[in-house]
Amino acid sequence: MYRYDEFDHRFVAERTSEFRGQVQRRLEGSLTEDEFKPLRLMNGLYLQLHAYMLRVAIPYGTLNSRQMRMLAHIAETWDKGYGHFTTRQNIQFNWPKLKDVPDILDALASVEMHAIQTSGNCIRNTTSDPLSAVAPEEIEDPRVTAELIRQWSSLHPEFTFLGRKFKIAVTASDQDRVALKLHDIGVQIVQKDGRTGYRVLVGGGMGRTPMVAKELRGFLPREDLLPYLEASMRVYNLHGRRDNKYKARIKILVHEIEIDAFRDQVEAEFVQMDRSAVAAPSEEVDRIIAYFVPPTLPPQAEDNAAIARMRKVDPEFDAWMRRNIHIHKRPGYRAVTISLKPIGGVPGDATAEQMRAMADLAKSYANDELRVTHEQNIVLPHVAVGDLYQIYRGLAAIGLDAPNKGLVTDIIACPGLDYCGLATARSIPVAQAISTRLADRQEEIGPLQVKISGCINACGHHHVGHIGILGLDKAGTESYQITLGGDATETAALGERTGPGFGYDEVPVVVEKLVDTYLDKREAKETFLQTYRRVGMEPFKEALYAA
Amino acid sequence: MLLDASGPIVDHWTNLDDPEFEIQQDGQVIVPLHRLGQALERRAATGVLIPNDADLEELKPFFNRLDLIAVDFPSFADGRGFSIAVRLRDLGYRGRLRAHGPVIADQFAYLLDCGFDEAWVPDAVADRQPAEQWLAQLGKITHVYQRGRPGQRSILDQRRDARVSAG
Amino acid sequence: MPKTFHPKVLTANDLINGNSVFLTPEGWSDRIADAMTALTPDQASDLEALGSRGVDQNDVVGPYLVDVSLDSDAPVPLTRRERIRAAGRPSIAFIEAPKVGQAA
Repeated sequence: MYRYDEFDHRFVAERTSEFRGQVQRRLEGSLTEDEFKPLRLMNGLYLQLHAYMLRVAIPYGTLNSRQMRMLAHIAETWDKGYGHFTTRQNIQFNWPKLKDVPDILDALASVEMHAIQTSGNCIRNTTSDPLSAVAPEEIEDPRVTAELIRQWSSLHPEFTFLGRKFKIAVTASDQDRVALKLHDIGVQIVQKDGRTGYRVLVGGGMGRTPMVAKELRGFLPREDLLPYLEASMRVYNLHGRRDNKYKARIKILVHEIEIDAFRDQVEAEFVQMDRSAVAAPSEEVDRIIAYFVPPTLPPQAEDNAAIARMRKVDPEFDAWMRRNIHIHKRPGYRAVTISLKPIGGVPGDATAEQMRAMADLAKSYANDELRVTHEQNIVLPHVAVGDLYQIYRGLAAIGLDAPNKGLVTDIIACPGLDYCGLATARSIPVAQAISTRLADRQEEIGPLQVKISGCINACGHHHVGHIGILGLDKAGTESYQITLGGDATETAALGERTGPGFGYDEVPVVVEKLVDTYLDKREAKETFLQTYRRVGMEPFKEALYAA
Repeated sequence: MLLDASGPIVDHWTNLDDPEFEIQQDGQVIVPLHRLGQALERRAATGVLIPNDADLEELKPFFNRLDLIAVDFPSFADGRGFSIAVRLRDLGYRGRLRAHGPVIADQFAYLLDCGFDEAWVPDAVADRQPAEQWLAQLGKITHVYQRGRPGQRSILDQRRDARVSAG
Repeated sequence: MPKTFHPKVLTANDLINGNSVFLTPEGWSDRIADAMTALTPDQASDLEALGSRGVDQNDVVGPYLVDVSLDSDAPVPLTRRERIRAAGRPSIAFIEAPKVGQAA
């Protein structure tokens, strides 16, 4: 994985020192709160419902055991002993004090991590495929491109005070595990006529005006990536709306002037700019590639008799093997999903103890790597088949053995009214109640993504949940709207509303009715989404609203 | 307060932002965009204050007759001016470029990197953020990742140089 | 028709540690039980003025008034959001206790 050189180290150290100075100037009065707020946000620091919240970047979702241990150390030293993994490959600490944050940033810098641009109206943490260097179908390791974008976007002098936040995701696979079409810019590594380059999507996003991204460029030569991104950003920065923060995302600009006109402007900018001055030198790309050479994994047998036997002996292990294991491009290896969704738990939360245990497992069995997924789970990327039972036991010992990847209890939920200053309704307890209610039936139900947001900003991705749940405030009471048929993958779709909302206590029952309707209607091995797409909204609506 | 990378400087320009002001034949004046034609009839140096949604192609024919372009920043958080500066330089403007408005010391390096030469800020900002803070801020981040910027040497280029010298 | 006036307390976040705090006769406190209550619009304006002073003095950020009920010993906010906030912690357990040893 990528390692900082002297320049990266100095850059992050200077940024931390700068923030330390900004905190001081805020306390002395040189900076007003209005001035300080965007500066602290660009260093990942929010002021939430109960306290400050620090969001730390895990660039393209990759970290090693040392970094994971540092997250545990931070949780224990400056927070309340736990952290929350988010949908964009970040971790959030819910209780830091302003005066401690520079020290936390120093601690992060010591393990080559930072909180730069995890918030604010700038280019956010660039996300990528948690199965990079694992998935057999990937064209190349997308993290090379993501690292290139991370560097280019860090403290970009021109794009640090944008009209609104800007999110970029990168994948090298046609199986979308990054919600590519729900990003401001989605970069897909593709091949055409024997050359590898980029397909660029623009204008996706969730929030109050959800949109699926459109194609900006079908094929972009590799060397043009940064100039093309720069041209796209410049058009957005100059022409994106500034009069209304809810209409300031690039998706609104693309929607209002339409994709063809937007493309014309980007291409015009791209043609007139000095592209060679902006593009990364090929040696720099090669330098990054060298950090992402595939790990040396000793050959392993694809079939392991001991594991096969344990699956027969231990049905819980067998269930976990069925759900939480992903095929690997190297025979005899697997990727393991560590579910951060124990039944009835808080989606995405992990204690310091759990973080350390995961770090130990990664160090012992997974080439010292961990990945964070946009479903708020952790992946151990390179695991020999023969080690799977040891890993399973290790996870069971810390309560992270839930065999539920992709099932109805593997719920994405935003922090909601329990933590978030913007939320209008609770999310976490709703997720907990659904998880508890449907846990016993989850295998029978099969793949079903439930996604819950506690306000219209849609951090819980409800628009792209197979079942989406949006909590709102209706005259002082929480009311939950249900959407069906959303999809965050390569077949991206936005969910459709069932009708009037439901009360807080009703939501688990409502989800169960939807599940029962699906099981009643499903043919052969159809998933919930397939059945919904075949039969449409009506039967589900009837189940929910017929007297 | 007006300052450039060296610190506070004397402002030799008169900013004629009041439409009632008469444009004198002599003296360096900054005029709003709609009075530019009138000001350019003079022999004295002329500058123009442009809003951050100005059409720069329309301004391009006047580039070599303009000694200064001031780009308005209605708020420090409105970052359109950064792209305006980059585009002005891309379009070939080589004269003095000024950021005009309540930008903050923490943005000084970004402004210079985007092609600005100087920043003029109102007293409300200067009183809280004296020149020392602006200059200190310039030294905070000594390396940038982006290439093609006038202000600083890119980390990417420095890496390349280091490789070359290492053979 | 004039809206019913609900009693109010003034809340904000402590600048240094971020905690939600309430204005009491002795200054800012994380205990809503100690908060000064405004029973009239004029008293509410007085609280807001004190809140602005807290901002100017760099004690707190973002002060605002919260509607409360005074039917019990301590003021109880009328909205769920403010009740959760006044409690100073989420409405749920932080995290499920690990099932330590279960697999053994």
